[in-house]
Parts: sequence; C-alpha cells; structure tokens
Amino acid sequence: MLIEILYPELCNLFGDTGNMRYLKRCLPEAEFAETSLNEEPRFVSAVPSLIYMGPMTERAQERVIERLSPYKERIAELIDTGCIFLFTGNAMEVLGESIEAPEGKIEGLGVLKIRAKRDMKNRHNSLFLGNFGDMDIVGFHSRFSTAESEEPGFAAVLRGSGINKSAKTEGVHKNNFFGTNLLGPVLVINPDFTQYLIGLMGSDKRIAFEETARAAFAARLKEFKDERRHLD
Amino acid sequence: MKKIRFLIALWIAKLIKLLLKLLGRQGTYFSGKVAIKLCPDFLGLIGRPGTVIGVTGTNGKTTVCNMITDLLEAGGMEVLSNRLGSNINAGVATALIDDASITGRCKKRIAVLEIDERSARLIYPYFKPDYLVITNLFRDSMRRNAHSEFIASILTEYIPKSTKLILNTDDLISSAVAPENERVYFGMERLEGEEEAPKNIVRDIVVCPVCGRALQYDFRRYHHIGRARCECGFASKAPDYLALSADFENMRIKVSEKGQERDYRLISDTVFNIYNELAAITVLRELGKTPEEVEEALQRIEVVKSRFWEEEKCGKTVTMLMAKGLNAVACSRAFDYIRREQGKKVVALMYDDIFDEKETSENIAWIYDVDYEFLNTEELVQVIPCGVRALDGKLRLLIAGVPEDKITPVSCEAEVAGAIRYGEADRIFLLYDVYRHNIAVKVRAEVMKKIEEVSSC
Repeated sequence: MLIEILYPELCNLFGDTGNMRYLKRCLPEAEFAETSLNEEPRFVSAVPSLIYMGPMTERAQERVIERLSPYKERIAELIDTGCIFLFTGNAMEVLGESIEAPEGKIEGLGVLKIRAKRDMKNRHNSLFLGNFGDMDIVGFHSRFSTAESEEPGFAAVLRGSGINKSAKTEGVHKNNFFGTNLLGPVLVINPDFTQYLIGLMGSDKRIAFEETARAAFAARLKEFKDERRHLD
Repeated sequence: MKKIRFLIALWIAKLIKLLLKLLGRQGTYFSGKVAIKLCPDFLGLIGRPGTVIGVTGTNGKTTVCNMITDLLEAGGMEVLSNRLGSNINAGVATALIDDASITGRCKKRIAVLEIDERSARLIYPYFKPDYLVITNLFRDSMRRNAHSEFIASILTEYIPKSTKLILNTDDLISSAVAPENERVYFGMERLEGEEEAPKNIVRDIVVCPVCGRALQYDFRRYHHIGRARCECGFASKAPDYLALSADFENMRIKVSEKGQERDYRLISDTVFNIYNELAAITVLRELGKTPEEVEEALQRIEVVKSRFWEEEKCGKTVTMLMAKGLNAVACSRAFDYIRREQGKKVVALMYDDIFDEKETSENIAWIYDVDYEFLNTEELVQVIPCGVRALDGKLRLLIAGVPEDKITPVSCEAEVAGAIRYGEADRIFLLYDVYRHNIAVKVRAEVMKKIEEVSSC
C-alpha cells in the first residue's frame, strides 16, 4: 500500500502533519512516500492508495501550482478513475480554476470547478460540525479564503461555515477525492471517517488507539452540539 | 480641531486612569483604548520621547524588553515602558498617556516598548520607533497569526522606512523583514558541546525563498534557527554582533562586535536567553553605550524568573515551567528542556485554553505541531495531560509513542497532585499556560505538601 504525501516541507501548517503520523500508526505496513518540491510525484507512474496534501502559505500555493502544473491531466485522470485523495486546509484551492488575491488573479490547475478568493485582512476562524453520509464530522477552520464551487460538497453543514459563508456544504467530494477546508489533525479527531477511509483504501485494519480516539471524539462532539457554546 | 480632539481624548484617558487607580484596578490598556476610540490618530499626536526602541517577534519579546529597560535603568536613565501593560496599540497608548503632561508632552527621554507583531498596522503608521528589535518569527496561534510568512509580510508592509532594525541573522524569516530598512544583525556561533537540534516538527522555512531548493544548514539550533545557505547563493547574513563562545562556569560570553572581541557577563545559561541578551547588548551598543557601560549595567540585572521556578523537597526537584498554550514552539522548547534534564521524570501538562473551555471548544490542531515525541524517553515515568482536553492530550502522547501505562489523564488541575506517582519520580515538571499561573502555583503547593507526606521528611 503506497501513500504519497505531497510537498510536506511546505504543506505542513496548522498541525496537519498529525494526519499522516496517525495514519502511520493505523497502517504500519504501508509505504509512506514523501515527495519534495524538486521530485517527480510518485502518482505520475503509479496509482497510490492515497495522495495527501496539507495546508500551506499563500505564497507556497503559487509554488505548488507551478510544480504540479505539468501533471494536471494526470491528476484529473486519477480523480476520474477513483484514486483516493485527501487535501486539507487550502490545499484543494490549487486544483481549482483560480485564486483571486489582492495582488491579482492566480491561475489554478483547473482540475476542479472551484474559484477561491483571499481576504488577507480578515481571517476566518471557526469550528465545524457536519455530516458525511451518516457520519458526524468535526473540525477546525482557520483561513483567509473562501470559494465558490460547482463540485459536490464533502460534508453537509450542521453548525459553522461551509466552503463559503452561505454554502450548505463544506469542501469537495468528487469520486474518491476528498477536499476539505478543515485543517489540523482531521483524521485523528474523526475516527469514523478515518475508519471509512482506511476501508476505502482496501484495508480491514482498525484505527489506532481506537478507544481513546473515540472517547476524545465523543467529548468534542458533545461540545460542538451544545448550542450554548459558540463555534465561531 | 485635531489638537482639541487629541487633548479631550488625553484628558478623558487620564481621568479614566485616575478612576481605575481609585478602584484599585491596574488598567493596562483601557485608557489607551478610549483615547484611540476618541481620536484615531492619538498615537501620532501624543508627545514621544527622543528615542523609541520597539521590541517585537514571536518569542522572547517580553524578556528582551525587560532586559533593555533594566540595562538602561541600571545605567541611570529613566525609561518609559509598557512592561506592566499590554503590547497592542491601546497598551502603547496607555504607557504614553501615563507619562504625558496635561498638554501631551512626553516627560521621559527614552522609551522601550513591547509591540505585538499583529498590531503593526495599528501602531507604525502613527508611531515610528527609532529602533525595532525583531527577536524571531515562528508560527504562533493560527487564529491570530496565521503563519510566520504572513506576520513577516505585515511587518514589511508597516514598519516605517526610518526605523533601524535589529535582527537575528540565525532566523531566516525575521531577518528578511523590511529589506530596504537600515539594519544590524546579531547571531550566535555553535557553542562548545552544543548538540545539533533533534528533528523538530515545526520548521517554518525549509526551502530557499529565492529558488525553492532545500536549504542547507551548517548548524541548526532548534526549529528553523541556525546558519543556512543555498546552492543559488542565498545565505544567512553575516552578523555584526556575533556570540563566539559562552563560559557557563563563570557565566561569561564572548561577543565579536563588528570584528572587535568583547567579553560580557552572561545572565542566563539557556540558549534562548543568550539570544535575548545578545539582542539587548546590540541595542545598547547601537545607542552608543560603551562596552564598559554595558558590562556595568549587566552586572546589576537579573533575568525575570516568573516563568521558571524550581525547588528541591525531600530529594525531589519540582520545576514550574511556563509553556504558552496555542504556541507550539514555546511548548516544544519546554519539552526539549525536559528531555535534556537528568532523572526519572513526571510531567504535568496544564495548558488548555482557559477562555475556550468555558465558551466554546478549543481548536487543538496546534498540539500536533508540538514535539510531544521529546517526552518519549526511558526517563519519563509518567505524564499527566490535564483539563477538558486531557483525552486529546492522551491521544497525542500515544501517537508520539509514549506507552499508555505512563499516561494519566485528569480532568482538572485539582487532581494533578493526587495523580502523581511520587515513589518513581526524581523530577516533577509542572507545565502551565500564562493564564493558568495562579492555578499552577496552587498545584505546586499541593505537590510540595504531598512530597512531604509520602517522603516523611
């Protein structure tokens, strides 16, 4: 089982490295390949069981777009054929059509029909509660950008914000591409989704430290569902 | 009209300050907040001292500010500072209001002001420091600070062109701020016996900002701090003030100042504080103080100890260590300190966000940027994640490889003293967030009492 982590030297903000550290505990036999900026991605010549990319700075988004640009057709092909992706934070914006920044419009890879817009004067911070199928999803938003999307959403919004303030869904879910603006240890704090993802990758392993992970999740879910607590 | 509005704001602010004083309240920023509300360009209109030194950065700014203020005061100067107040625009205004005459004239001739890095756009357009120390830039609270590149861009945009910068060349992020400004650099050679940094999770600059290749470090001290270069020619700048060596036995430090070697008293033996002292020495030398005057002042000051407390009881050492919550680098530095200490260790972690636990739910993503892996040593006998997020702490520790039988989560600080396995511990570390200082002091007292009970000493 090959899990490719794209550009971890740049795409590592906000505790998101916790996702792959946790997955290594869940799938100790899997090969975790870290692809750096100056390497050819493994997905060019192989079909990984999971391709992961975490959030990055706004300047790094431009660099990542430039480095992934030669492979955009391959990325589109992998999404269309069901390869599993997990992009967290602002990572999925690089696959979109454009990012509107105060300095001007940045062309994205055009693989997804999303258009992001940055507002560097206002940082949006909030907590998120939603559903993916029959699973509860919890998470954290901390971002400068919002997006307009014509793609199917990842999670239905119960409390908090979606891909933009008025959206009813959060992120993008296209075939097995999971893009979410949630950041941080998304897999650690969502045991049901992580178990689902591991199954989708073809493993029957249980998530690591399941009892503690589920107890921590239950405690967080109770707080997120408590209407007396604000999520923004 | 402008002047009248300013004077009304000043007088009202002074009145508020007086009322707060009568009520026994400190009022570290409220009068300044009101003054700015009434007169938005208040900071640009109030009288300023002849020389203004600002100190900003992610970590160490309070210590550096205190050091510079103490050193100047030890040299006989009266210094205007916000050391007892807030470091945002309202705090700076409050400090200036306190010192101002009824007409707004400043009484003191020199100011040393701690300035929050996020407040740059609210302060620098009106109030221009002559010197600005940037201690370092690391990732900090994601909610307030986003990431270090963002903070660097804010500073570059708003720092006045006339301000002379005093920068840490061993930090490639802060040393690149406001490239057009006049600047001097301080830095530190690898000290004798100093080990290369373990692999920190957080390294905020890894690739060359010019060409994107991986940076080559000659020596990496911690996180991204160290001396680096790239194949393309990009490299750390040559320091004007370079710490050559430190003698921890005699507490002396050798500094090369623009090529001339000097010898100063070292006031703390932690590497972080050596950087802080270097920043302070650089400021004083740039102000024109002689090496002899700097040395004389250094002889008279002590490092503030409120963030570190240690006492031995019945053969066990209890250490209270501040580890700012939401600040991954500060916590990682504390864990690294514990890792290097000798003896069987118990570590209590008391840094849940005190505000979030009441009103919302803490965003715990930052704990995955903290090097919990440093705690996973043979010498660790027990770790106690404490508070409403104790289970998150336990999960983080498990992922870091800490065996489950060493982890004792407790739901509040009151349970910490009772949970410690005193029989197995030589060292007990109590890590606490800045807002939990008073609670941590209570825990410390309970722990000391328990040690007495179990040791019968």
